[in-house]
Amino acid sequence: MTERRPIRLIVNGRAHEVSLPPNTTLLTALRDLGCTDAKNGCEQGECGACAVLLDGEPMNSCMILAWQADGARITTNAGLGTLERPHPIQEAFADAGAIQCGFCTSGMVIATKALLDRNPDPTEAEIRDALSGNLCRCTGYGQIAAAVHLAAERLRNLPSWSASSASEDGQEPAFKKRVLASDDVTGEGGRS
Amino acid sequence: MDDVQPKPLPEVNLPDLNQVGKPLRRVDALGKAVGATVYAADFTMPNMLHAKVLRSDRPHARIVRLDPSQAKALDGVACVLTGDDVKGAKLNTDLPGQTGREARSGSDAPVLALDTVRYVGEPIALVAAETLDLAEEALRLIDVEYEDLPAVFDPEEAMKPGAPILFEPDNVVSRYTIRKGDLDAGMAEADLVVESTFRMPFVEHAYLEPDAGVAWVDEQGVINIRVATQVVEHFRSIARALGVPQNRIRIRGTMVGGGFGSKEDITVEIFLAFLTRETGRPVKLVYTREEAFLATSKRHPFTITHRTGVKKDGRITASQIEMVADSGAYPYLTPYVLLYATGMATGPYKIDNVRIDSVAAATNQTFTSAFRGFGGPQAALGYEQQMDEIARALDLDPLEVRRANYMASGDTTCTGQEVSSAVWSEECATRVLAALGDRTPDSPTRRIGRGLANTFQSYGRIMWFHDTSRAWVGVELDGTVVIRCGVPDIGAGQSNSVCQIAAEILGVPLDRVTIYATDSAVTPLAGTSTATRQLYMSGNAVYSAASKIRARLARRAAEYIGVSEENILLENSRAIVTDDPSRFIELDALAKMCAAEGIELSHLAQFNAPFTDGLDPETGQGDIWPDFTFGAVAVEIAVDIETGQIDLLKCAASHDVGRAINPAAVQGQIAGGTHQGLGYALLEEFVLEEGRIRTPSLAEYMIPTIFDFPETDVIILESGTGVGPFGAKGIGEPALTPAAPAVANAVADALGIRIPELPFTPKRVLEAVVEAREKRTL
Amino acid sequence: MTLPAFDLLRPTTLDEALRLLSEMPDALPIAGGTNLIPDLRKGSHAPGSLIDVSGLPELCCIRRKEGHLLIGGGVTIAELLDDPMVAQTTPILTEMASSFAHTLVRNRATIGGNLVAAAPCCDSAPALLVLDAEIDLAGPEGTRRLPLAEFLVGAFTTRRESNELLTCVRVPVPSDRSYTGFVKMGLRKISCMAKIDVAVRVEAHSDGRCEFARIAIGAVAPIAYRAEAAEAHLAGNVLDAVAIAEAARLAGASAHPRSGSEYKRQVIEALARRLLTDVAGRIEGGS
Repeated sequence: MTERRPIRLIVNGRAHEVSLPPNTTLLTALRDLGCTDAKNGCEQGECGACAVLLDGEPMNSCMILAWQADGARITTNAGLGTLERPHPIQEAFADAGAIQCGFCTSGMVIATKALLDRNPDPTEAEIRDALSGNLCRCTGYGQIAAAVHLAAERLRNLPSWSASSASEDGQEPAFKKRVLASDDVTGEGGRS
Repeated sequence: MDDVQPKPLPEVNLPDLNQVGKPLRRVDALGKAVGATVYAADFTMPNMLHAKVLRSDRPHARIVRLDPSQAKALDGVACVLTGDDVKGAKLNTDLPGQTGREARSGSDAPVLALDTVRYVGEPIALVAAETLDLAEEALRLIDVEYEDLPAVFDPEEAMKPGAPILFEPDNVVSRYTIRKGDLDAGMAEADLVVESTFRMPFVEHAYLEPDAGVAWVDEQGVINIRVATQVVEHFRSIARALGVPQNRIRIRGTMVGGGFGSKEDITVEIFLAFLTRETGRPVKLVYTREEAFLATSKRHPFTITHRTGVKKDGRITASQIEMVADSGAYPYLTPYVLLYATGMATGPYKIDNVRIDSVAAATNQTFTSAFRGFGGPQAALGYEQQMDEIARALDLDPLEVRRANYMASGDTTCTGQEVSSAVWSEECATRVLAALGDRTPDSPTRRIGRGLANTFQSYGRIMWFHDTSRAWVGVELDGTVVIRCGVPDIGAGQSNSVCQIAAEILGVPLDRVTIYATDSAVTPLAGTSTATRQLYMSGNAVYSAASKIRARLARRAAEYIGVSEENILLENSRAIVTDDPSRFIELDALAKMCAAEGIELSHLAQFNAPFTDGLDPETGQGDIWPDFTFGAVAVEIAVDIETGQIDLLKCAASHDVGRAINPAAVQGQIAGGTHQGLGYALLEEFVLEEGRIRTPSLAEYMIPTIFDFPETDVIILESGTGVGPFGAKGIGEPALTPAAPAVANAVADALGIRIPELPFTPKRVLEAVVEAREKRTL
Repeated sequence: MTLPAFDLLRPTTLDEALRLLSEMPDALPIAGGTNLIPDLRKGSHAPGSLIDVSGLPELCCIRRKEGHLLIGGGVTIAELLDDPMVAQTTPILTEMASSFAHTLVRNRATIGGNLVAAAPCCDSAPALLVLDAEIDLAGPEGTRRLPLAEFLVGAFTTRRESNELLTCVRVPVPSDRSYTGFVKMGLRKISCMAKIDVAVRVEAHSDGRCEFARIAIGAVAPIAYRAEAAEAHLAGNVLDAVAIAEAARLAGASAHPRSGSEYKRQVIEALARRLLTDVAGRIEGGS
């Protein structure tokens, strides 16, 4: 009853056909694919070190079964940039002194990417909210918040990296599964 | 403490440098930013086995039966090891290569329990299997039968007659006595004697990276262990446990995802060594978060009592201090942690008459060992809360009481050690108080409190350990620089600091320097990333090695250009004439010239810390540490007197770091250390009940999130007087120490009474509010 | 650590999901998994199969229909938080969602999952209780509707049968004279389990008097409950300081805390008083 089944994970723009048993978390699947930038810090959704973008939304990959991500587009931190061509968010983290041990960094960058994709000029409160699921034990968070501000500023001033284009990682605009309908009120709360 | 003006700083002339003192991007930053850094758990080997550890679920029990036969029979299980299989190997918990301690008989922790378990989580058996699932299944198949033994969970109880004994002859793990001056005379001189008792809980390090490693046997038969550790020199202890020569164990350290002292002890590497030797195959062991909580050390709970004689103007005439620390089930580094707490027990104050009696006792609880500050934070929670209690008893301003007692450079600590570097306690204190700005007004339900703490914390190891570090620095033929130095980088910027120092001395940009670190076989041994020692020790070793090469390069350049050696400056990858920059030779050309002529372009340097003997056993007098870092934190909090919730409103931290090698990294150390200290005061408590953990994961054990505290206002001071390179002092541990007592003092300020026990949870605070109302202090 | 073995089935329609649940008595539905996956790791559940309902279109929308807000069981907390219609009609749900766990979990956790798990510290229950929410349970025999208070039985226990799915949370859209407030208290400011949740709703007369009130308390008892004595004290009364203080006292006294009862009583009283005072200040036509 728990035999492997082939699924398709589209990770950082590349499709992988993998055969996994159903009790495999997405985190384990990603790490087995070599995406070890997604970190295992707690396996219960408390630390955010395993955060990835699933169809554009930041989530804890430890809390998702790999089969549930069949066909989904997944972006890990390493999918955003490389040593040779770092993403502006990654560079901002390096430049702002936001990195100490670095174990939380990939999750932090992912949460920041999700924030800046929908809010290019976040307030301090919005930054805190966006990073509320990412624990850091080294920095005290001040330089991390500063890195997010710095990244936002750089992205706003660099049209080629603007969040709306967001094509460098092969990412489609976030897919919204929701369908909103309203049969006795119109124009209220409608969101496509 | 309101309207305080910053005390003017003494004049200091720090040279303006090109690399040192600049907030450059750390050499390790980009790899971590893009997720390229390979941590211990990210590494795999072909044909690799997966390991798990079976652990005791009893606080104190005799193992009546341990039967691994079913586990061994499971298809896919390569190996099961129990205490019998490892022949009673002990985990040597003394410091590697050192001789500081007289081990109590039999108290070193066994690698695997033989006949007795002494805490919940004690390792009993190891499994290596083809998959993680199989290893977990095999653990469940190991049959263990226990016979429970009477247990003890409180160090004071553990020292009473009739208490269950963990190790003969009694549960006392360590004891110190300090006798300085004449306590009785000092007390007689006092106008008032203030007595207080303070208690601190177990605390979990909660580094983000659970302990992990991979081990294999190479073609020479050498056991290689790739592990997240603060101490590559553990290869010696592992060799001893395995009964193999020390040159047959190779530790390849990784970038460490946070250690804070916990990865100073041996964790997975000893299990991996046994398993890979037994199976001949690569083996991986990664702790789950829960196992990292269960299996590794904690910060020591302390109970500290201060009896202080004071004059009406706040001057301290005598200080009597008693400390009781909980060692947990095995000593590990407890004797040294207790020494730190004892040696720093009177704080950054000049006190002539001191009597300290400290003791640590074993209990059937998770063992305690190193944690950032190493007893210093607990000592500070004692002396800094006591300073405020003295101020309250005398109706004086807390800053005034401190001013009346601050030690100055040249004064001595409670062990009679003279402090020779700058002592900028008041400079720090006045700056953090000024940084708080206007006081937030009270509201009917919110009481505002402000608290200050002045602390000092050693950097560098205990001097009778005869600490050394080595570094190799070389210039390549293209003018790039290579450092080989066995310095574990635990996230604090250890590797970057030495790179920035080499870049400064050799006159190259930081991105022209590459460091190879933390391989016990190929990088010169640099000692542990503990005790805030790497900048001091390895920084000085790199400084020395780079300076040797610099001298050779300068000599050859001077000869080539035709000026005297003193006129040569290495800058921007060139050797230039100081007073005529148009005359120069490029560094790569110079390097090639030297190479062709056989002039050595590399150097291996060793730095030796001062070597001393131990303390006088009767009086506890003597020198312990190379130097101290002085700092202060001030906070403003709001106590919700209806819910007991505390809001931290403002926080400022200032430390004299001697010289900031990288100010951005220093800011990160201070902000991050302060944050940990704030968590210690307000959130964190590792709860054990009858030896069983009630906070087994990050869902129950609360470390601060980005929401909990405002950003710390960091004020970096530079006296240039440290014993590190360029006059630097250490900041890793000192950064944490003052935060928690500052919060404690702020809570007492808000309520008018003191809560004697950390952390200040809403429930404890609300109970104190009721008491404060009864006492009419609120 | 690996999860215990189970099968995972991914139906594409509600009917298929219900059929699978009926056929497999040892199956559990999984949506966001934020409760279930940690529980599986701990061994609290050992299902033979999981039925993934997270993508079912029938469960994933928020609609307004016939005076009710219909929130699909698969709607995530983040969707609830971001929804302008929810913010306008039932802002208490927006407040609740903003204090729920943290951003990453909110993107995954569903309202249905939160209610079905029925943890004592479930944040959505007290907010929905004051809104008089009902829930729809779909099963092989069709759909049945229960008041939320009836659905919640005890800690980790509900009236959901193993072959049923929570398809919809039905919230009567409160009148425009409805005023609400929600507060969560935990050991830290975000990303923690509630130690105390308090939710209040006051339906005001045009003269500012309270027509009726709802006060619900979470995390102090096996399951969230309404403090009915406190509610009764407010019904028909002017919300002045005296009335609020007494209602708050009754709310505190209602607590059947799991531990630390005196402390929790005090805090509930304070939080209820603050919420009611805030509400009273917002009531138009009030004093």
